[in-house]
Amino acid sequence: MGTQEVQYKPLSVKELLKEMKNLSSLMIDLAYSAFLYDHKKLAEEVMRLEERVDYLGYLLGIQAALAARDREDAEQVSGILKVASAVDKMSDAAADIANLVLLDISVHPTIHSAFKKTEEIIGRIKIREKSVLINKTFEDLELETRIGVDVIALRRGKDWILNPNKKIKLQVGDILIARGSVESIEFLDKLSSGKVNKLPEVAK
Amino acid sequence: MTSEEEWIMIEDMIRQLKNTCEFMIDLAYSALIFDDKDLAERVMDLEEYVDKLHTKFELKVLKIGIKRKEDEKNLLGLLRLGVATENLADAAAEIADIVLRGVEPHPILKMVMEEAEEMVMQATISENSILNGKMIGEAKLEEKIGVKIIALKREDKWFYNPPSDFVLKAGDIIIARGFIEGKNALKKLAEGEI
Repeated sequence: MGTQEVQYKPLSVKELLKEMKNLSSLMIDLAYSAFLYDHKKLAEEVMRLEERVDYLGYLLGIQAALAARDREDAEQVSGILKVASAVDKMSDAAADIANLVLLDISVHPTIHSAFKKTEEIIGRIKIREKSVLINKTFEDLELETRIGVDVIALRRGKDWILNPNKKIKLQVGDILIARGSVESIEFLDKLSSGKVNKLPEVAK
Repeated sequence: MTSEEEWIMIEDMIRQLKNTCEFMIDLAYSALIFDDKDLAERVMDLEEYVDKLHTKFELKVLKIGIKRKEDEKNLLGLLRLGVATENLADAAAEIADIVLRGVEPHPILKMVMEEAEEMVMQATISENSILNGKMIGEAKLEEKIGVKIIALKREDKWFYNPPSDFVLKAGDIIIARGFIEGKNALKKLAEGEI
């Protein structure tokens, strides 16, 4: 995970802040889940998101500085920078939690065994070459109705897509972040790795 | 208490800390949208609450840890989790502080918050609203319009996460979380238009 160099890009302050806000909320969710279930891969995703939020924060700083034309502007822009810095702080806190998992100082083993059966968990699933999911859209797959998982985010290389659009076609290497019961996440994992090639029928 | 029960209790406390922080963050964002000092004050109250919760959590972790002769690594992890949670609460308070200081919010901030998939919304229940006199559970807002009441203000008193048997009354200001599509529906229901 190398540090991405900052280059000016004409993205709007609005879009940048929106992405930072949404990613930081996702990070909080993923970080606690990674901690409670001692899920290292998920913790690594949180670290990747942290890198992204940091990067967006730099771009936002540049844009915001360009936006201020007079004293009044500057006052309002300072409000935006304050919010951005608070959002950044949230993402730092989430990364701190994820880091505990990576440092192997997360929790007592009984915590996850006691809760694994009933609780909804967050899974991190990679689409592999033989998967039946490749080249299918979320609309085709109907994962929520068929297996009861809700895909909350998708990572493709360095890009993150939150609440992915139904028309998105899945590709080899895509990382899915999904919420569901332990069984449903395990099933999605089998579909993504190619161990199972058939989706259950849609219940009528 | 068995060791398992004790750890389940710890996990419950972690979830409670997390939920309170997320709630604070939501409230702070909505204070910003509505430029509402009152909501911002609530965020500050919650920060104090999180402080107390955090101390309770730390004491519990240490108590169980000492009693069960836990591995220090586990205890350190849990204590650091508490610290990170407190940092989240601080960040929410920083957002509320912007509102309290009367810095006029940039219109962009409002747009960012309103364009989120899920948002926090506010409505006041009127005399002829069908919600007037209904229990939150009966109103089935979550099933019908996809919004959940997360806080409520009656006269000067705030209620966080009101239970499903809580009866709504005219004049109540409700803060709800939900998809943007539900925003108008909630407003109409509260105003008595539907």
